[in-house]
Amino acid sequence: MKTRKFNFNIALGILFLLLFFGIGLKAPNFFKPNYLISVMLRNIMELGMIALPVTLVVITGGIDLSLGSIATLSGITGGLVYAATQSDLLAVVCAMVVGCLCGWFNSLLVTRLNIPAMVTTLATMYLFQGIARGITLGNSVYAFPAATWLGNFQIGPIPIQIIVYILFAVIFVLLLSRTYYGKYLYAIGLNRTASRFAGINTVRCENIAYIVSGIMSGFAGMIMLGRFSSMKYTAGEGMNLKVVTIIVLGGTSINGGVGTMTGTIIATMIVAVLNSGLTVLNIPIDVQTIVQGTVLLISLVAYAVIQKRNTAKGRGKTAKAGKAA
Amino acid sequence: MKNTKHSKKAMPSELALSLFVIIIFAVLCLVAGDFGSVNNIMSILNRFSYILIASIGMNIIMLTGNIDVSFGGIISVMAILEAFIGKTGAPIYVFMPAAMLCGALLCTFNALLITKLHIPAIVATLATTQIYAGVLPLLVEGSIYDLPKTFTWLAFDAKVFKYVPLSVILALVILAVALLMMKYSRYFKKLYAIGNNVKSARLAGIDVDKTVIVTYAIGGLVLGVAATIIATAGQRVTTTMGAGMEMTFIAAVVVGGTSVTGGSGSILGTAFGALLLSIISPALYYLGISDTWSTAVMGAIIIIAVSVGAIKGVRRKNAGAEKEEAKA
Repeated sequence: MKTRKFNFNIALGILFLLLFFGIGLKAPNFFKPNYLISVMLRNIMELGMIALPVTLVVITGGIDLSLGSIATLSGITGGLVYAATQSDLLAVVCAMVVGCLCGWFNSLLVTRLNIPAMVTTLATMYLFQGIARGITLGNSVYAFPAATWLGNFQIGPIPIQIIVYILFAVIFVLLLSRTYYGKYLYAIGLNRTASRFAGINTVRCENIAYIVSGIMSGFAGMIMLGRFSSMKYTAGEGMNLKVVTIIVLGGTSINGGVGTMTGTIIATMIVAVLNSGLTVLNIPIDVQTIVQGTVLLISLVAYAVIQKRNTAKGRGKTAKAGKAA
Repeated sequence: MKNTKHSKKAMPSELALSLFVIIIFAVLCLVAGDFGSVNNIMSILNRFSYILIASIGMNIIMLTGNIDVSFGGIISVMAILEAFIGKTGAPIYVFMPAAMLCGALLCTFNALLITKLHIPAIVATLATTQIYAGVLPLLVEGSIYDLPKTFTWLAFDAKVFKYVPLSVILALVILAVALLMMKYSRYFKKLYAIGNNVKSARLAGIDVDKTVIVTYAIGGLVLGVAATIIATAGQRVTTTMGAGMEMTFIAAVVVGGTSVTGGSGSILGTAFGALLLSIISPALYYLGISDTWSTAVMGAIIIIAVSVGAIKGVRRKNAGAEKEEAKA
């Protein structure tokens, strides 16, 4: 099991290099450091930041499809609060609080009422987006100084959000691999009942994962608002699918219990290369949508095949039964 | 055992739902006089007809514990296909079966991903939604317009008793067939068995994979009828006609009392759920609330419906039923 996980990340790394150099050879413009940093990396940062905490959620066997809507709602709330009060601090605080509340609401439905995470977050995705649509009356909201700073400030040649992402990436890698909390998440994903009997407070662990996802989504929403300088309620549409694609591509099992943060980070880079690479190659946006869906399907199928072989080789795993249900 | 329990419980909740819908209707008629006008009611009924038809398809899929969020995407595909065929002047009995066939094929593809490759239904169908949404704009430049009169026949000319749209009759016929099937067919009993417990259904001799695939195919067939009603509503068919609609159908099913984990629920409940959802948007309009809130109201209604179902489930569990089933 350990060796396979190791191999999987290496395989992902090789895939990344292949895509990177393949696209680079076709379109030499791609290799300009300026393009790599301020287009390829800068554009993926919001998704990458959200994918980190959502990996935690997926490892517990849950999922969060509402993150795009949370990001939009937070960004929009921040913009509206700033427009009303002209206070940067208040806008940032409100945006983060909204993200936190949204995550808490998700966790409440999932852990207290035992509603399947997919259904919960599918419904809250519409609820949060609907609220964003309602409070803006469908209009655009403009960025506030703090968001603009987050979206555009550069330290030397490097945009601030890349530095923030690296910081978060390190924190989350350590959180998942070096702390008890990380181990608990794996345990919950593999067998919730057994974890509870082993004395793990499963409800609290899952709650934290959802709330952290909400907060990070809110933060990403502010960066997004700053980067685009205005935002509509539809801004987060399709984000959930991209994040799920990143996580599944990174080798995290959608059924929980298996996955690494490093895989998610490499997968983020792969999606970044694909996105900006296809743009460099002048491939229309619709094809990019298809590629996105296809990548997700292929990674799901690949994972299913690997797992089937593993179950055939080793002893029968419970995860499969849970999936069929 | 479970079935008797379920039917005892389901009847009152359907009754409550129907009462709720009637009260909303009565209040609206009192508050806004126009609401009860024939035109408005007919437009609500038209909306109701396609929501009902598609929700029945969604309902049988959800009974097995699966879901299909690509319904909206498939509707877009079918609408464009129908416009292609309809543009040549072909009548409805040519392009509607074509759409139904197309729906059945696409849904079967979803079902194959779910059953043969064990991909969770929601993720698999999210991915296929994305693919459909990307393929359509490549095939069609924005929209197909200037469609002939033969194409819009269903929406404008097909009226029974001068007022009632044919689409409503179509929906009621499908509803009646579904209700009869539910009562007498062994096939529907299989759906409940699979939704309740896949393993024991398999041990009881049900070919689970085959049943699920057939269910998706039927869902797709039925969806073809709904898509026809949606597509023929005007002389222009766009590539995003069905985008986001799946949520309405899921909402109708869930509001109607069908469990999101499968195994319990009824078509009749779904019918009332569909009725409720088809009056939300006009109701908001007549109450003077901006239409921009309709998405939020829809989301809130689903959450409330799911929560009520979940609280009921928790209570039943406390009464001594199995623990982990609902989570899986």
